[in-house]
Amino acid sequence: MTFLAPAAAALAVTLPVIVALYFLRIRRPTRVVPALHLWPDQIRDRQANVPWQRPRFSWLLLLQLLAAAVLVAAALQPALPATASLAPHSIVLLDASASMQAKDVHPSRFDEARREIGAMIDELGPQDRMTLITIQTPPRIIASGSGDHDAMHRALGRLTVSNGSADLSAALTLAAGVTRAGEQSRAYLFTDGIVEPLHASFANGLPFPIEYRRVGVSGENVGLMSLVVRTSAQSRAAYLRVHNFGQQARSLTLEWRSDAGLIDLRALSLQAGQAQDLVLPVPDAAATVTARIDAKDNFALDDSVTAIARTPRAFRVLLVTAGNRFLEQALRLRTDFQVDVLAPTDYKGSTAYAMTVFDRFSPPALPDSPFVMVDPPSGSPLAGGKAVGIGRVRASDAGDPLLTNVTLQDVRVARSQDMSASRFGRALITSVQTPLVLVRDEPFRQVLVGFDVHDSDFPLRIGFPILVQNLSEWMLPPSVPGHSFHPDEPVTIVPESGATSVTVVRPDGSRRQLATGAIATFADTDLLGVYTVEQTAGGNTDRSWFSVNLFSDAASQLAPVDRLALPPAKAFPSPQTTHHGFLGIWPWIALLALVLVVAEWLAFHRGL
Amino acid sequence: MDARLLEPSVLRRLDALAVLVRRAVKGQMGGEHRSVSRGRSPEFADFRSYTPGDDYRLIDWNAYARLDRFMLRLFVAEEELPLSLFVDLSGSMDWGRPHKAQTAKRLAGAIAYVALASLDRVRLTVFADGPTSGGAPYRGRRAAQELFARIQSFPVGGPTNYSRLVWPIARQRPGLTVLITDGLGESPIEPAITALRLARQEGAVLQLLAPQEIAPDWTGDARLKDAETAAEREFTATPATQAAYRTALAVRTQEVEDAARRRGLRFARLTSDQPVEDMVQRTLRQVGLLG
Repeated sequence: MTFLAPAAAALAVTLPVIVALYFLRIRRPTRVVPALHLWPDQIRDRQANVPWQRPRFSWLLLLQLLAAAVLVAAALQPALPATASLAPHSIVLLDASASMQAKDVHPSRFDEARREIGAMIDELGPQDRMTLITIQTPPRIIASGSGDHDAMHRALGRLTVSNGSADLSAALTLAAGVTRAGEQSRAYLFTDGIVEPLHASFANGLPFPIEYRRVGVSGENVGLMSLVVRTSAQSRAAYLRVHNFGQQARSLTLEWRSDAGLIDLRALSLQAGQAQDLVLPVPDAAATVTARIDAKDNFALDDSVTAIARTPRAFRVLLVTAGNRFLEQALRLRTDFQVDVLAPTDYKGSTAYAMTVFDRFSPPALPDSPFVMVDPPSGSPLAGGKAVGIGRVRASDAGDPLLTNVTLQDVRVARSQDMSASRFGRALITSVQTPLVLVRDEPFRQVLVGFDVHDSDFPLRIGFPILVQNLSEWMLPPSVPGHSFHPDEPVTIVPESGATSVTVVRPDGSRRQLATGAIATFADTDLLGVYTVEQTAGGNTDRSWFSVNLFSDAASQLAPVDRLALPPAKAFPSPQTTHHGFLGIWPWIALLALVLVVAEWLAFHRGL
Repeated sequence: MDARLLEPSVLRRLDALAVLVRRAVKGQMGGEHRSVSRGRSPEFADFRSYTPGDDYRLIDWNAYARLDRFMLRLFVAEEELPLSLFVDLSGSMDWGRPHKAQTAKRLAGAIAYVALASLDRVRLTVFADGPTSGGAPYRGRRAAQELFARIQSFPVGGPTNYSRLVWPIARQRPGLTVLITDGLGESPIEPAITALRLARQEGAVLQLLAPQEIAPDWTGDARLKDAETAAEREFTATPATQAAYRTALAVRTQEVEDAARRRGLRFARLTSDQPVEDMVQRTLRQVGLLG
């Protein structure tokens, strides 16, 4: 047994004090009574009647001494060795991502992990410290190097689970940051193993070993994995994917409704591991559509999804070219683009177009609006140097969001203007010889392509229309994007011209006011559901919507990971030492003291 | 100060009362109570034959016409009531809030005033270790203030000795004797009550207690001191001991009541926080002492 607060032994001085008080003769106040003979001849030997009298047995004195002794014992905080082995500094990493809301363990994986961490806090020794970090996006340090049990319990009790993903790499980076040099630390990872892949940089190891404490037992789950509304010239339809991730066949009912009411109910049967794609009708008047299943499984977050059905506002786009089928076709793929094509000789300049594409033509004055300049002719202020042979191309930054889903591996360019000296903007696609595609944000979002697309096989690759799509979305972002976002994913909102107020109404009804003068990034997307953006201009309020859905295969897969690939621990100058934790028993001793005090009270009132 | 034993407003309301006795009394002077003697009240009592020496004014001439012999018409004589007040002023009465002895003096004064207003004769005796006479009997309303001053002048203190009341009670002429006491002295009250019975007195025992002795309001350690004997004892008051005290007090008061009722005496238990007017108007009328 170990005493966590040995200094409290000084309180034992109360025992002789009680005895001394018993021996000391008390000063009794005199009370005159009319008939002394009516009063019982009784005096309690709680205290001496004469100084330092010979001690006589007294139940009250015995119980008082026992209660005081037990209280002193409780104050010493005795603890028994526990089964857990703890390092002097325990770093607890608690997964607070969406999959931890699964209820395959009661009441949930997150609460089960919190219970285990709570027990671990109780076992901390007097010299032990604990750091508590939640794994979410972004991770948070809840307590850093604290030995205060109560504070740790309070912080743990206040934690809530998120709907987002688990960024384990960022959490481990934080954990490494709170570790002091030479300190004996050990990390305890409470998770179901459904985390984002670790960065490669962790291959070198961490300054502490990590112990994986798996939470969760079952992966039985049916989820709605995607919902997209597509509008064609003929009709509008929604594409829904339902996936049974479990090991058992499931029958369920799909409820399909719009903001106006119920549209359809369908019975579905899914074999183990089976996914099913459904095409569902979307009424013309619908602003939002929602699919819901009564899966009655362990995970509710993916049982309901919502998509925005309202057709986005159309943009007018002008293509000035002597003829470029590739560009024209790529632009017309955008259903919200109204594309006009002009010959260079007919171009007069117009402010009616939101974006202009100049193909091998440069107007005398460049428009003050977004534009794409392809292979500017000599004499243009944007023209580069003389043509150079190119060959293979590559991304200037593979992680650039403008190149999302754009594959450049098989793309060849025969020749291009030498844009090495161009000060147009940053390079997006480049080659060994020269940058090929440049982009800039100021004064407007504009693109400069240094080669004629006919001198390349790029238009024949799938990456070409995707690049045109990415660039046009970047140059003409919708005021409010209508597609679905993941939880905690930031949403870019471009206030309408003349908007005097922009407010986002979250699914729970709470409102967030945004600045109106600039493009705003709205990041409070932790709740699932439909977000309404209200923009007021000239006394009119215009509403648009975006949705936040889980749409995460990793989270919906739900099955806890048995073996999690974790970074190794670096070699330490001294061997890692752990000790058994402590199991505090003082609350039980304090309870015993309470029983003794009650017994003393009863004894007093019964005249013992 | 003496005259203020009872407020004038209280005295005015006492004027409407009279001391009640269950049987006729034999006094020395005319009063307002039925006498065992025949007298001159308007109340007819009986006839008897005339004998020489009788007052011929009492001959009923109508009876003579019918019976042809002299008959005397007799009426009830109304005589004074000899009222004796025995007031306990021992040490145990020197206690309580309100003060028991002061309340006893006011109560005795109130009863005496009712009697004096009815032309009854009042004899006052206070007692503790022994009896102390309050002087010659008082008679008439005008003697009330003198009686009040006298009763106020008696000190309070000393042990209670009921057995020394036997002789003063026994020598009383038949009448009404009222004993005002707390009944808590160490000596038994039985001798005094027995003496009342033997003296053919109509009696009443009025037991007066303070609220604090009925329900003690303190706990803890104390040195108890007897108000009469000054004896001391160390004591620890707990709920259990308080309960034992209340039981002993209840037994003692019940003994006093039983002794009184067994000997045909009227009994009332009073507390010192009761207004004297309330004691007189309500309690003493209920037990039939006043009417």
